[in-house]
Amino acid sequence: MTTEAPIKVRVTRRFNAPPELVFNAWLDPEKARKFLYATDEGEMVRVEIDPQVGGRYSIVERRDGQDVEHTGEYLEIDRPRRLVFTLKVPLYSEEADRITVEIEPADGGSELTLVHETSPEWADQAGDGWKMILDSQASVLA
Amino acid sequence: MTPTAQFDLNQTLAALADPTRRALLTRLSRGEARVTDLARPFAVSLNSVSKHIRYLERAGLVHRRRAGREHFLSLDPEPLDEATAWMNRQRTLWTARLDALDELLRTEASQAPPRARMKGKRR
Repeated sequence: MTTEAPIKVRVTRRFNAPPELVFNAWLDPEKARKFLYATDEGEMVRVEIDPQVGGRYSIVERRDGQDVEHTGEYLEIDRPRRLVFTLKVPLYSEEADRITVEIEPADGGSELTLVHETSPEWADQAGDGWKMILDSQASVLA
Repeated sequence: MTPTAQFDLNQTLAALADPTRRALLTRLSRGEARVTDLARPFAVSLNSVSKHIRYLERAGLVHRRRAGREHFLSLDPEPLDEATAWMNRQRTLWTARLDALDELLRTEASQAPPRARMKGKRR
């Protein structure tokens, strides 16, 4: 298991809704189909969610006549604070990324922090310094 | 992301995974350098530095130019742009998804009975 992934993308977002409602939307097929991997142009054709640790999800959207599946496994479910799952798009890559969603109560609503990490198999041998790589990229190029 | 781009990105990141290679890139970011000059500050053999340089060349991060007997190396930052592009793409995708989630939650809140909305406990 990788403890430090090579690249991370972090997105933070505030919601008026309380943590429970924000959290539940990720595991409720009727809600997930409206925001998770849904695009304006696509047509959602399948949303299957097995909301337990070790359970899998499969969300398929038809885009330009092509079925695009987003799939993965739930690694941690700590309602309503923390959700960790893998993400793979078999059409493009067999590698699974890792998504961590953390939700904190904030001013009557909630604040969500999402971290998307790529974790290719070689990351285990990568050693330290991953976090600084892209931070230092600007200075490398300067 | 196309499979090709994914492969390139992995190769780029693998190349960046080593501190010696990162130091070599940092040095080359200041300008073209001869192999021997590049190797001098490092406390490892020229042979070892050469291996790292070849790794960086395979990843497309370093280009080699020959002038007579001299070999000059220079940095090509384009593969780094690939990594940045991946990050920007993911950030854009997640921002759009969270926008959609926000809209969904707002719609639900406006449809909820007033009492449940105040409590924020509606199931």
